[in-house]
Amino acid sequence: MRLVCTNLDVAFPSSTGSVSALRDLSFATRDGEFLTFVGPSGCGKTTLLRILAGLLPADAGTVERIAGPDDRNPSVLLVSQEHNLFPWMTAAANVAFGLEMRGVPRREREGRARELLARLGCAGKDLAYPSQLSMGMKQRVAVARCFLSDPAVMLMDEPFASLDFQTRMVLQQEVLDLWEQDRKSVVFVTHDVEEAILLSDRILVLSEGPGTIVAEYEVPAARPRRALLEMNGELWELKRRILGSLRLAAGGARYAFAR
Amino acid sequence: MRLIRLIGARLWLVALLVVCWQVLVVLRVLDPLFFPAPSKVAEKLAAMFSSGELERALYATLGRTALGLLAGMAGGGLVSILLSVSPLMRTAMQPLVSALYSTPRLTMLPMVMLVFGVNETSRLALVALSAGLVIVIQISDAVRSVSRAYVDLAANYGASRAVIVRKVYLPACLPQIFTALRLCTGRALVLTISIEMLSSNDGIGSLIWLSWQTFATEKLYASVLVAGALGLITGPLFHLLERRFVPWRTARA
Repeated sequence: MRLVCTNLDVAFPSSTGSVSALRDLSFATRDGEFLTFVGPSGCGKTTLLRILAGLLPADAGTVERIAGPDDRNPSVLLVSQEHNLFPWMTAAANVAFGLEMRGVPRREREGRARELLARLGCAGKDLAYPSQLSMGMKQRVAVARCFLSDPAVMLMDEPFASLDFQTRMVLQQEVLDLWEQDRKSVVFVTHDVEEAILLSDRILVLSEGPGTIVAEYEVPAARPRRALLEMNGELWELKRRILGSLRLAAGGARYAFAR
Repeated sequence: MRLIRLIGARLWLVALLVVCWQVLVVLRVLDPLFFPAPSKVAEKLAAMFSSGELERALYATLGRTALGLLAGMAGGGLVSILLSVSPLMRTAMQPLVSALYSTPRLTMLPMVMLVFGVNETSRLALVALSAGLVIVIQISDAVRSVSRAYVDLAANYGASRAVIVRKVYLPACLPQIFTALRLCTGRALVLTISIEMLSSNDGIGSLIWLSWQTFATEKLYASVLVAGALGLITGPLFHLLERRFVPWRTARA
């Protein structure tokens, strides 16, 4: 599935009237593409994903969903940064939630959930509740639920932001492996430029709120990729240019210090 | 062995006090007419048990509490649902519920009796009102504090409104529903016994008041002991139920 966004405008009410979160934002995803938005905090990344997921209406502009040839499930599913597991469901039941909503019988869906959890190194955690899981395990469960539902587009809102460096690397590899099998469209959001380069086919840089696209880059790295991506000269140059765009996007030198 | 030590750690002070009391009464430091010896109280308790007096009183008190609770829970549950679906009703009912909740329940007994008469209906109505108020306050608060994130999550996966109620709102509120049940059960028990002391011919409360008026101190102590024990068992009872029905809250990391 492709998402085609045209002239999106969103504002939120505030004490001084309203604050514009996104302004005149237009872009289109490609079939089977890993697209990443990078931008400073408060550039409306989360807002954008909520609009794409259909959880928030835009004030103006449209989001078109154009079905692709091999969409088995036409949904657009969001993996958010936190609060993305039901505390009252076991890990397996959380992973199986998408299948449950589609009427897959309990035995089958929980079996498949267990299988995927085992693949992600969470074997034996099926019956644990989220409160019993580490941060990394929780994010694995959330990612697993999204993949198991096999949506037409996956939206990921800084899913690894709250993880330590090593856990993040392991999860990045796991997501790469899972995704490269099937290559459904992904819209990913992060403020970590190296993570963006590692995962994506294409990177869009958003400016500080109200968010608009200030730069676009293709990532010239072959797949399948390894989480310890060799940063060759070309990729270093790409990183440098993205950081440059970000600095402009955040209004000059402030970005360099804020980081 | 661990269990024995745990119980020992909790009960040694109580046991020591009981023994001291017994000794003081035997030595005639305490007047047994005012402070009957623990052994005498225990004997009286056994006698009340074997004569069926205690059983009748317990039956009356627990029956009253249970009926009042059931009526209150049903009514309170219905009102909470109404308040959860209608913001208009919630705003309008708020002052009424707050006012009723802040008024000591027992003070309403005479007014309830003016409405229903000096009979069982009045006693049950007051217990039901008390329980219902706790349920309404706790549950409407629980419903309002369900995180928007979970509702969005379910909606994103295509859950209908009915499914969201069943799969998100209900489990999200369950811990507080149990808190509400525990709270209103404890209060209903206290209220029932208080009402019995004021206006009833049966039940533990009536037994306590009658013992006081006839200066049957051994019976008085025994009855108060039973009332205390009733209150004591509700806590662990609900803890067990909670472990069974809200496993994610009590699960250990």
